[in-house]
Amino acid sequence: MTVDAVYLLQLTLNGITLGLLYALIAVGLSLIFGVMEIINFAHGELLMLGAFAMTFALPVVGLLYWPALAAAILATMLVGLVMYEVLLARLRPDEFERAILITLGLSIIIIHVMQYIFTATPRLVDTQYGFDGVDIGAIRIPWTRVIGAAAALVAFGGLYVVLRYTQFGRAMRAIAQNREAALMVGIRPRIVARNAVVLAAGLCGLAGAAISPIQLVTPYMGQFLIFKAFALVIIGGLGNIPGAIVAAVALGLIENWIGGFFEIAWQEAAVFVIMIVVLFLRPDGLFKRGSMRVG
Amino acid sequence: MSAILEVTDLRKAYAGVHALDGVSFAVEAGSVTGLIGPNGSGKSTAIDCISGFQKLDSGKVVLAGADITGQPAHHNARAGLMRTFQTVRVYERLPLRDNLAIAAQQFDPATWVDELLRTARYRRAVEASEKRARQLIELIGLQRYYEAEVGILSYGQKKLVALAAALMPHPKIVVLDEPVAGVNPSRIREIEVALRQLNEAGETFLIVEHNVEFITNLCHRVIVLDQGRKLAEGTAHDIHNDSRVLEAYLGTTPEIAAAEMRAQA
Repeated sequence: MTVDAVYLLQLTLNGITLGLLYALIAVGLSLIFGVMEIINFAHGELLMLGAFAMTFALPVVGLLYWPALAAAILATMLVGLVMYEVLLARLRPDEFERAILITLGLSIIIIHVMQYIFTATPRLVDTQYGFDGVDIGAIRIPWTRVIGAAAALVAFGGLYVVLRYTQFGRAMRAIAQNREAALMVGIRPRIVARNAVVLAAGLCGLAGAAISPIQLVTPYMGQFLIFKAFALVIIGGLGNIPGAIVAAVALGLIENWIGGFFEIAWQEAAVFVIMIVVLFLRPDGLFKRGSMRVG
Repeated sequence: MSAILEVTDLRKAYAGVHALDGVSFAVEAGSVTGLIGPNGSGKSTAIDCISGFQKLDSGKVVLAGADITGQPAHHNARAGLMRTFQTVRVYERLPLRDNLAIAAQQFDPATWVDELLRTARYRRAVEASEKRARQLIELIGLQRYYEAEVGILSYGQKKLVALAAALMPHPKIVVLDEPVAGVNPSRIREIEVALRQLNEAGETFLIVEHNVEFITNLCHRVIVLDQGRKLAEGTAHDIHNDSRVLEAYLGTTPEIAAAEMRAQA
């Protein structure tokens, strides 16, 4: 097997895009974990709903990318809000097991309801950009990938500003770092948790909408992603946002490299092999210390 | 003077044990009131129930005329009752300035819209909060650490940070849960001085503490709990000479102890 430089570059760029989209999901999970101490196993379904919202919004706005993206993000934020108010708000911080079952159950219900309504037939999403892209030498990166990656980067920048410089961000970090101390100064845990869930859902909606022109859209697309994202959150160090981002981009790259040179089946197994190895070598994840954390 | 905090007939039982068995007391505005008692006397339960971290079985808590019985802690904080914890609770990975800013932000009138648009109202709120933070940090002597993560400070310094955080929003009363437990003796004196200055500036404190000297030096009134009941109340001097208090603390009174020693000899 000869390694072709152009092919490798293509795999690498695709890997970075995919990794950044994974990171959006992982960061949302990390945020919710930081504030509520639960893992939202229905998080992958928010991504799927974002992708579906994109497929339905695009024809309505004449295949225009940006309005459809905005609509998809708003739709997922709304779903996140309902999810919080109806289910998650009823959980107490010490109810980790109940939270796993409830969110896992919710995930399965959402998948099957979507399959019932929209069938399992994969949908191909077309945007105003079609297959246009930027040409770098012999390779072409489609605009949809470039924009997806750029939107993810902008989202991370925005998130950093929110966490670092706004009252809402400080309240989230306060609750994540010391719940009692935060309550003592009048921070209302439910409002902070609700906002965190809505924000995480928005990030997920962005990921789903951005991924929809890249991958086929089906009701199952979020199902395995949640486990990948969960693995990333742990590899990155629970509650550690930059850790999760780095781990996600690394995973996107590794997946694409493995998928490009070996049997595709290895690609899916790779993340979990890495997770298990990391957890044995470093039980607290790779980036426990020294970076900005929510929790 | 009038009572800023009034608690009536507090009752709380855990699995049949009466941690609080009808405790009533009042804290005068502008005073420093001590709440002492042997281990298991119900002091911690009392302040947990008053501040809203635990639910009372029955009883009434009135803060500045408003009934706050059974309200959650964040509600009571907004109503003006702040507290610290026996095991220090600060945000280890946030700088000192943010630790204090977080304590004040629930109380400023600026909304998120003001924050987004950086309105005059938002800027005023931030300025006021920073000014207060700098004053308090100066008072507790941690100016050097304004931008530093609180995790690097010593245990005693973190206790001071928690105290400053509780004072940030100009509360009506601050409840301190063992402010000098585990703090090295030279710092205890500093905390005492800081608290006296704050009290002279008008702050009201309710202090739970084992260090009797600290309580005696600082408190206008002392309330003694024993086995979930109020055993005694009065000035520090009264309490020192109350044989019931000595008995509760030492399991005996000086007279009995002396008699026993004579009998043994």
